[in-house]
Amino acid sequence: MKIIQIKNLHKIYNSDSVSVHAVNGVDLSFEEGEFTAIVGPSGSGKTTLLNIVGGLDEATEGSVEVDGVKINELSARKLTDFRMKNIGFVFQAYNLVPVLTAKENVEFIMHLQGANKNDREARTTELLKAVGLGEMMNRRPSKLSGGQQQRVAVARALASKPKFVLADEPTANLDSHSTENLLDIMELLNKEENITFIFSTHDQRVVHKARRVITIEDGKIISDEVK
Amino acid sequence: MIWSIAWRNVWRNKVRSIIMIVAIALGLVAGVFSIAFMQGAVDARIESATRSEISHIQIHAPHFSENNETGLYITQAKELSEKIENLNDLEAASYRLIAEPFIMAAHGTGGGKMLGIVPEKEKRVSNISQKLVEGTYLEKDGRMPPVLIGEKLATKLKLKVGSKVNVQMVDMSGDLSSKGYRVCGIFKTVNTSFDETNLFVLYDDLQKQLAMPDDVAHEIAMICANADDLETVKSKVQQLAGNNDVQIWKELNPEMSILTESMDEYMYIFILIILLGLCFGIINTMLMAVLERTKEIGMLMAVGMNKRRIFSMIMLESVMLTLSGGVIGVFLGTLITKYFETAPIDVSAFSEGMEKYGYASQIYTSLPSEMLVTITILVIITGMVSAIYPARKALKLNPAEATRTE
Ligand SMILES: Nc1ncnc2c1ncn2[C@@H]1O[C@H](COP(=O)(O)OP(=O)(O)OP(=O)(O)O)[C@@H](O)[C@H]1O
Ligand SMILES: [Mg+2]
Repeated sequence: MKIIQIKNLHKIYNSDSVSVHAVNGVDLSFEEGEFTAIVGPSGSGKTTLLNIVGGLDEATEGSVEVDGVKINELSARKLTDFRMKNIGFVFQAYNLVPVLTAKENVEFIMHLQGANKNDREARTTELLKAVGLGEMMNRRPSKLSGGQQQRVAVARALASKPKFVLADEPTANLDSHSTENLLDIMELLNKEENITFIFSTHDQRVVHKARRVITIEDGKIISDEVK
Repeated sequence: MIWSIAWRNVWRNKVRSIIMIVAIALGLVAGVFSIAFMQGAVDARIESATRSEISHIQIHAPHFSENNETGLYITQAKELSEKIENLNDLEAASYRLIAEPFIMAAHGTGGGKMLGIVPEKEKRVSNISQKLVEGTYLEKDGRMPPVLIGEKLATKLKLKVGSKVNVQMVDMSGDLSSKGYRVCGIFKTVNTSFDETNLFVLYDDLQKQLAMPDDVAHEIAMICANADDLETVKSKVQQLAGNNDVQIWKELNPEMSILTESMDEYMYIFILIILLGLCFGIINTMLMAVLERTKEIGMLMAVGMNKRRIFSMIMLESVMLTLSGGVIGVFLGTLITKYFETAPIDVSAFSEGMEKYGYASQIYTSLPSEMLVTITILVIITGMVSAIYPARKALKLNPAEATRTE
């Protein structure tokens, strides 16, 4: 089943005199249960593409349909709400609220969604155990390693039961051991829970794990391979 | 959960928050104390005005108050004052004769207002009898009629207990009358100009000197059981007083009623100025708190925190910060004020001028408790107002912010 449908997407940044065509005519679709990497050199437009798909940035032209909803036509308020309910995010950094513990960071999303306390508790514990942090639930981010923080971010992204998770270079700040560990967890969640992951990366080791690899250069897709 | 995030955010930069909290607390300690001090001074002024000088309500013959004309008097004064005293709301009433004499003493001359009183009655209306610094309250001692004078007049005319004075006035029939009195006592209120101009003699002595008929008075002064509802009492007294003028102290001394009424406004203006100053500090603190968290706020927006929630979070942070300082400030201010409610502050070094206007040189602070509630509410409003600009800054941030690492 198709969950994302991108048609003729363009993004042009106009700053001062220069204008950058960061996404240049992208047509793409994603199926439920994918485990897909978007690769490409620095400045090729990966972040821009993911931001538009996630509704964090506006396209200059084209459309993005998530589960039948044209998100580029939603009002700012509805879009925020839509993101909260349908899309999980993992960023390269600044993923967590530093004043909240790991558990509270995960719970917070469910709180925003209006879930009751018992449900929140149960799901948070389950998710943090799933990412291997059952023992560290009450630590604040500053007391967790970079890899552990990213795993909390994955748990947080899943808390709202999203249709898919977008991860922009989730491993860029991690050492190779943590990178592998995070990817293993994502892969496991993908296989066992059928969670859709779309992530961008520079890292070849990460690319190997993906089942579909989309290569982008100068805002254009130059290859799209399914293993 | 937003409450707990906001509260923890306040403590993220401890030094910065503590500096702000201390500043707010100090500002409010100063504010609360000054208010209590001003209120204490005004209370003392009112207390003196009602208990020593004017009493609560006075009756005069029509037009008497215009220039204290001896011939305009209340008839059947004893009966009237007894009837009034029997009213439920009344504590005491006293009838008085009033003359404007010329006083001659060995070392100078002076003028003023002479009140002829019946001591047993007057004692219950005014507290001059408790303000004696020397001598007795109009106790007859020897052949000469006694006179009670204020300390200021005593100093001015170099009079002591036992000194003789000659008092001249125009009597009922328009003749000049002169009579010798002996100083029996000296009183001192907080109001030096009252002390300089008011003399007390016995009703009978003044009646004789003025050649007044029996059972008349120029003034009936009374004290009510409950000073808060004088208007109702006034109308009851008016029914008994016939066509005589009945006035409450605020009408008798309009400047003082303006003083008490504008006091509240002064206090609010004072507090508002303090809060306005603090407001800029809070804006600065909150702006720093927002600007150093742009990535985090972008992330919160990305994962589903809408603008309303972001706005409330910043707002709450600001209110919590401000209120922390506010509560500490109001608490300490109250504590200090409570202390000076029983231990007066001696301002005699500056009060030479103050006493002339009737202000005590020893001031007991007095803090109306509803004022504390108002201050706390104003503090909360200050926190909210100060948060508006920083919160708007936060709302302008873009969720895509979170994804840009540099
Ligand atoms: N806010 C912006 N304003 C102007 N130009 C921008 C903006 N964001 C990105 N760009 C430009 O758009 C192009 C694509 O940037 P993008 O961040 O999407 O690339 P990327 O593939 O994610 O790169 P990296 O691997 O370094 O993260 C770049 O040339 C970049 O300079
Ligand atoms: Mg990027």
